[in-house]
Amino acid sequence: MIETLLQTLLNGAASGGVYALVALGYTLVFSVLGVINFALGALFSLGGYLTYLLMGGRISANGALPGWGLPLELPFPLALLLAAALTGLASLVVEKLAFVPLRRRNAEPLLYLITSLGAGLVVVNLLQMLMGAEGYAFPASALAGLPAAVVVAGARIRSVQVLLLAVCAAAVLALTLWLERSRGGRALRAVAEDATTARLLGINSDAMLRLAFLLSGALAGLGGGLIGVSISLPGPYVGIGYGLKGLAVLVLGGLGSVPGAIAGGLLLGLAEAMVPSGASGWRDALAFAILFAVLLVRPSGLLGRRLVEKV
Amino acid sequence: MAAMIDNGLLVQMLIGALLGVSVYLPLAAGQLSLASPAFYAVGGTLAALLSTSWPVLGAGADGTFPLASFLLELLLGGLLAGALALLVGRLVLRLQGIYLAIATIALVEIVRVAILNLPFTGGAIGIFGIPQPFPTAAGYLLPALALLALAGWVCQRLEGMPLGRAMAAIRNDELAARCMGIDTTGVKLTAFVLSAVLAGSTGALAAHFLNTWNARQGSFDTSVTMLAFVILGGSRSWLGPVVGGLLLTALPELLRPVGDARLVLFGLVILLGPVLFPKGLITPSLLERLGAPLRPASWRRRGGVAP
Amino acid sequence: MSPPAARGDRSGSSAVNAPLLEVRELTCRFGGLVALNRVSFAVEPGEIFGLIGPNGAGKTTLFNLISGLTPPTSGAVIWRGTPITTLPPFRRNRLGLARTFQNLRLFEGLTVHDNLLAALRRQPGESLLGGLRASASHRRAERQRLQRASALLEELGLEALAERAAGTLSYGDRRRLEIARALATQPSLLLLDEPAAGMNPAEKDTLCELIAQLRGRHGLTVMVIEHHVPLLMRLCDRLAVLDFGERIALGSPEQVRHDPRVIEAYLGGAPP
Repeated sequence: MIETLLQTLLNGAASGGVYALVALGYTLVFSVLGVINFALGALFSLGGYLTYLLMGGRISANGALPGWGLPLELPFPLALLLAAALTGLASLVVEKLAFVPLRRRNAEPLLYLITSLGAGLVVVNLLQMLMGAEGYAFPASALAGLPAAVVVAGARIRSVQVLLLAVCAAAVLALTLWLERSRGGRALRAVAEDATTARLLGINSDAMLRLAFLLSGALAGLGGGLIGVSISLPGPYVGIGYGLKGLAVLVLGGLGSVPGAIAGGLLLGLAEAMVPSGASGWRDALAFAILFAVLLVRPSGLLGRRLVEKV
Repeated sequence: MAAMIDNGLLVQMLIGALLGVSVYLPLAAGQLSLASPAFYAVGGTLAALLSTSWPVLGAGADGTFPLASFLLELLLGGLLAGALALLVGRLVLRLQGIYLAIATIALVEIVRVAILNLPFTGGAIGIFGIPQPFPTAAGYLLPALALLALAGWVCQRLEGMPLGRAMAAIRNDELAARCMGIDTTGVKLTAFVLSAVLAGSTGALAAHFLNTWNARQGSFDTSVTMLAFVILGGSRSWLGPVVGGLLLTALPELLRPVGDARLVLFGLVILLGPVLFPKGLITPSLLERLGAPLRPASWRRRGGVAP
Repeated sequence: MSPPAARGDRSGSSAVNAPLLEVRELTCRFGGLVALNRVSFAVEPGEIFGLIGPNGAGKTTLFNLISGLTPPTSGAVIWRGTPITTLPPFRRNRLGLARTFQNLRLFEGLTVHDNLLAALRRQPGESLLGGLRASASHRRAERQRLQRASALLEELGLEALAERAAGTLSYGDRRRLEIARALATQPSLLLLDEPAAGMNPAEKDTLCELIAQLRGRHGLTVMVIEHHVPLLMRLCDRLAVLDFGERIALGSPEQVRHDPRVIEAYLGGAPP
């Protein structure tokens, strides 16, 4: 039926939007530094929990300070944006601790993998210590003022899904416009293209790298807050799953390709939504099965550039 | 501190060392494969299933299990994992660098979800009450040590064999290796399969040791930790991942008194390790100082003349 | 400019009289760029065959096609009368085709000795299991490998450096190591890609002599790419000249030297 199809498509697009956010986070850092920031999944979780706390949520009984909460109760949109910004700052800390020391000694790419994974582990476990390991549902006040569901072309969609889609679309659009049109964005792309030449042109590539990390963390944090409000936060490890799927999307779309990350995220979201509910347990494997299949046919992803070795 | 290292922890440390060697083998051929947890999971699942559902293997009502059947499962776990590696390896090893790493991460996730969802593998709860071939944890020490000794022996022998040299050549420059007549696809596949066999046997051993087995046993987390064994332990010799595996498996347990912060500390170790020890703990120069027996065989003999 | 007279009627004949290597109408296109355009010639057993041409003429591309690293867009590579155009590089090496690289591709992390050992392959009788348990056939094969490595080290003057990591060697030593490594694979045809690059005149002379000696001692056929044309004029039996991906001359050094197309291709029009 058209309604269920539409429902499925919109739900798929909504979750696809979140995947795209994470994939874009990876893409920003990868295009400038050439390595994958494996702490991104942890930052996703961080964003979710920060949004929760900023909305006045209390720590549950299993956490370090049961019943404690911030002396704040921000409305959801503000909490979300602030959480994203704070996660961006956290990303800068990760850069400082996990990436800078290695760059100083020209370490091989494999080592960045380890240190960023270590940083991610630290963040996730700090969250676990603070918040406890079980799930958090966002305060009901989050979506106060929004109807529970809207009817679009005859199909009932949870309005939070529409919100998700809208926010993701806005974020992606803002990012793309910024990259294309603004001085900062173009400078970032210059550094991604060729760091040495960019430096010769007077662009501070270290600052651009930090900017990439900042934005990348903000995107991940945004995703975490969105998932928190639309589903819930099942635990500090929630971000790991999204981080892995975001990784799959990153490679599917072609490492370093912004349109690829967006298209890949949407495609994955839609594909997952198409999985019949009887087989929903297998949904998580779909991303990786698709990735596997694509890599075997096109080793550099759908839109990636083929790496040609010079002899 | 020594009192906290009981036999159970020792076995876990040995399992860690075994998994470290499993990750080391493809890396020695220049392939960053994070697939070992998938093969570990396959071997463990097979052992868990066989011992609980095949009465012919002799699981007793009191939870005991014949030694012979246990050893058979170690073999079968390795073989099944090896067969899977053979199937997937040829396809996956065409990929380079980070693409290979990510494809192997994908493989681990696919296997994990499969084990979680297949009707006969126990679902989220897993398989319980896996029978024991030994009355205490100490019983597992010998098989674990034997398996590790076997793995180490193979790695050591490889260094004096064309296959091992081919792996080192590929690790340095795969293209040049191809032009020097090395069948790089075949060599990479061999390393991959050997790594899988080891991981599969280790999984079978672990399933019995842990008494229960579920999909969480082989996951991305495991990939991370195993990779840390190799990177922190040192990736130039098989001893590195052994040391890395032993230490890093013991660490969270030794940190238990610290409480919840122990995993944070563990993360810090992984975060700071590569910065403080860029070549890992077992560096090539350390190996040299440790003495001749550990150096590759070719170093000692030139032109057929003994030193 | 006429090609050597007998080339045409040797194709497909018995191995005894066949050229060792023949490239036939080799074309290589990368996107819109034509790197090689219908290049044809044959290399006779035992000769030293030079390949010269201005930068970007397609010389290394030709080597890549011959060694199997790049597939041709069209055309064929023929080895002792049999086409090998679809064979992967490692099989071509096992047939007897070895090469060095313009930008040096040593196994940097391995010692000089191990670089050679890596190229000394497993013998037909050896198996994985045999190697593991140090069987008699494995030990015999190992002894042979070690002897060969020793001999090559001595021949190329690298003995004193045997235990040094390849990455720590001087430039000239690295070049010699690459040649030694290629020789370790027991080739019939050795492709040398700019082996004298970065050498001073004295070193170039020594290299020249070395190549001639190696040809004699190992029964080799050699193809050399070089920028330094006088070196090739002294060394080679025949030369082919490439320009913009096309073969513009083929013949003895004397013939090539006076070919007007060759003179025109080089800057200033002065005879090479």
